[in-house]
Amino acid sequence: MSAVPEQRWSTASREFELGCDAHGVVTWLDERAARGLGLKVGEPLARVTVPGTEEKLRGFLARAHAAPLDNVEIPFVIGGHVVSCFVCSRPEDGGFALLGGWLPQEHSRSVREIEATMQEVVDLNRQLFKAKREIEQRKAELERTVAELADSNRGIQSLHLELQEKAEALQRTAEVRGRVVANVSHEFRTPLHTILGLSRLLQEGNDGPLAAEQHKQVQFIRQSAEELRAMVDDLLDLSSAEAGKTLMRPERFSADDFLSGLRGTLRPLPHAADVELRFADAPADLEFETDPSKLSQVVRNLVSNALKFTERGVVDVSLARDGDVAVFTVRDTGIGIAAEDLPRIFEEFGQVPNRLQTQVKGTGLGLALSRRLAELLGGSLTVASTPGEGSTFTLRVPLEHPEVRELSEIRQRPLDPARSPILVVEDDRKTIFIYEKYLAMAGFQVVPARTVAEAERLLETFRPAAIVLDIMLDGENSWSFLTRLKRDPQTQDIPALVVTVTNKEQKARALGADEFWLKPVDQDLLLRKLRSLKVASPPTRVLVIDDDERARYLIGKLLDAGPFELIEASTGPDGVAAARRHRPHIILLDFLLEGITAFDVLDELKADPLTRTIPVIIVTAHTLESRDRERLSSQTDVILSKESLSRELAINRIRDALSKAGVGALGGVP
Amino acid sequence: MPANPILNALRDQYLNTQLAGDRRAALRFIDDALRSGVSVPDMQTHVVRAAQHEIGKLWQEDRISVAQEHLATAISHLALAHLFQHAEFRARVGRKVVVACVPGELHDLPARLLSDALDVHGYDVRFLGADVPLQDLLAVLAAEKPALLALSVTMLFNLPSMREVLRQVRSALPGLPIAIGGHAATTPDAVPFDAPDVITGSAEQLLNDIDRLLAARA
Repeated sequence: MSAVPEQRWSTASREFELGCDAHGVVTWLDERAARGLGLKVGEPLARVTVPGTEEKLRGFLARAHAAPLDNVEIPFVIGGHVVSCFVCSRPEDGGFALLGGWLPQEHSRSVREIEATMQEVVDLNRQLFKAKREIEQRKAELERTVAELADSNRGIQSLHLELQEKAEALQRTAEVRGRVVANVSHEFRTPLHTILGLSRLLQEGNDGPLAAEQHKQVQFIRQSAEELRAMVDDLLDLSSAEAGKTLMRPERFSADDFLSGLRGTLRPLPHAADVELRFADAPADLEFETDPSKLSQVVRNLVSNALKFTERGVVDVSLARDGDVAVFTVRDTGIGIAAEDLPRIFEEFGQVPNRLQTQVKGTGLGLALSRRLAELLGGSLTVASTPGEGSTFTLRVPLEHPEVRELSEIRQRPLDPARSPILVVEDDRKTIFIYEKYLAMAGFQVVPARTVAEAERLLETFRPAAIVLDIMLDGENSWSFLTRLKRDPQTQDIPALVVTVTNKEQKARALGADEFWLKPVDQDLLLRKLRSLKVASPPTRVLVIDDDERARYLIGKLLDAGPFELIEASTGPDGVAAARRHRPHIILLDFLLEGITAFDVLDELKADPLTRTIPVIIVTAHTLESRDRERLSSQTDVILSKESLSRELAINRIRDALSKAGVGALGGVP
Repeated sequence: MPANPILNALRDQYLNTQLAGDRRAALRFIDDALRSGVSVPDMQTHVVRAAQHEIGKLWQEDRISVAQEHLATAISHLALAHLFQHAEFRARVGRKVVVACVPGELHDLPARLLSDALDVHGYDVRFLGADVPLQDLLAVLAAEKPALLALSVTMLFNLPSMREVLRQVRSALPGLPIAIGGHAATTPDAVPFDAPDVITGSAEQLLNDIDRLLAARA
């Protein structure tokens, strides 16, 4: 039943026993050592230890035969695997006996796995760290980039500022130059006229005949003066074109009429005998609405230039239509212009030296002026040329001048229910654009009427919130339009703001009556007007300045109906004094006072800050006499002057006048 | 490397934390040393690497067990990872290096040291670790196309494995520079590797040689 104990556990035991001599050669061994380590008697222990541990084994052997050793670790190769064994040894027969044991293989495998796992984690940690470092570097780079961008942005800003300053300086220089040129040219004209006139007198021999040589000399003087005058005229044209002072006078005309007019003026131009000036027929039904004199100035200039620089061949003038644009072409077979000179020819005095230059006279301004005029007409002037073959100038001009088109757009647009319509009776486009610009911003819609007749037609189609009328527009018609407006119950309560041209001294005073009423004053109108004044603490004080006692009385009766206080003055000075003392909310001023005019009273009232803001309504029993109109137009600003329209002040006056007249922009702040 | 008494003292202190199996104390010790001004490369080479060398000797002399050796090595891996984070990295040089231990070689700490040094030096390092099978190594080389391969061998009995790797890599990728390091390759009685484009040496020697070698090839 019982086996030998060693044999019973021989397969399960992890221990073995063996004996060695002093050199580590096996002298005996048990079955477990023989099977597990694969050793035989006579073999050295070193045969089964792990390579690389020889030194350790040597150290062990050196000590083991001399002294007992415990717990020494020796790695053996067991079944092809490295297995750490813990051994104890005891000296025996000059050698030693050894008891060894090994750990289960899973244990050391687990340790290795744990080690590998840990190393992977550590590796992962390195990668994470590196990624983090990289992100930080990117961030730092980004921050640097942002800082650099901010720097360059600041640089750009200061550069921009610098550019702006330079541009302003340039503009100032150009303005000064323009003014100098304009003034100098203007100043040149007078002495030039004297020289021209006197040389003509001398030539005509009115004060005694000239000798032949003298005649020749005077002729030269006169020619030089003529050239100088042509130059001065061109300079003046150019400087006013550049200053934007050139007035556009668009008219409707047909291409046909225009070209035949041109033919008439161009045929007599001097040119070489071998040169033929040809006009192509204008396209049928080509209608312009632009400034004909400026257009013909440009074309004339181009043709006369072409004739100057063409010795033989033809100068062709043709006109074609390209959509909304008219294209004039002036082609010659002249000397042409070199490519490198092309950009210069449109500059002032940008003449290109050539062999004909000495023969033909020019101011050196013609093409510069032509290009400016082409631009003023909304178009362009370009050139193509081959030296020796000729040049072709192309002028492109919109058939309808841009201002005309813009105005017709304003004219044709429907009424906007969100805006208060203002009927503007005015024939000057620029003034209409100014009204449009400022009143549109204030919430009004400008409805322009070029004539009184048009205004009356328009009044039948809509009811404006106010009417702005240029009293100088249509002569007698304007006055009778105003009279009819104020007589007609349908329209008498539409505020009419009267505009005249400014007086010559350009007084800075903001003068003005706010309304014109005709006597007898209508009670409803008066009460509506007074209620619109928005008086903070009634009663509303009304100052009536009228030398007619009955008229004052009548107004007083009309005011019985409400919380009104009547202040009366029978003369102009009394009225001004009363206005200062009582500070009325509104003043009704009779147009025809004894010994003083309504204008003088107005002047006084508007000159004093205390009374300036009080609305003044001029009341008159008569349609104005022509001398009064004269005075009205030449010496006072009833509402405002056209020439000051662009100023903030002027436009505020319009708005004030409109709001005083009880007209507000719809939806606007009252 | 001339022994520096301060560094030797640091090594011994570090070794004590390792033998005590106290990884927190080891990291604290490293932080203190860095704070007191010791450089990261000095810590890597003259403290951690040197202590690891001592560990090997202690096991050899039977003064520590294999289990203690493993624990100490684990602490050193942690220490190196920690040092890595405090290194001052140079600008990237844009070159890739693959670092691996030859098949059978389980000691990867020397390879790890070289990897860290190369990384800090600006190289793009792929560290493959201990006991890398030859086929795996060849596959990585083919895919990554490194500028250099660094092989590590610690145990003398792995030298035949190293020679086999060399032979195979040479035939697959002739001209690829190879750096060989580790105890077995650098012991005085090691047979030199007689092959072109192969350099051997300790981690710090290799670092300089690699710089020179690759700079010459650039």
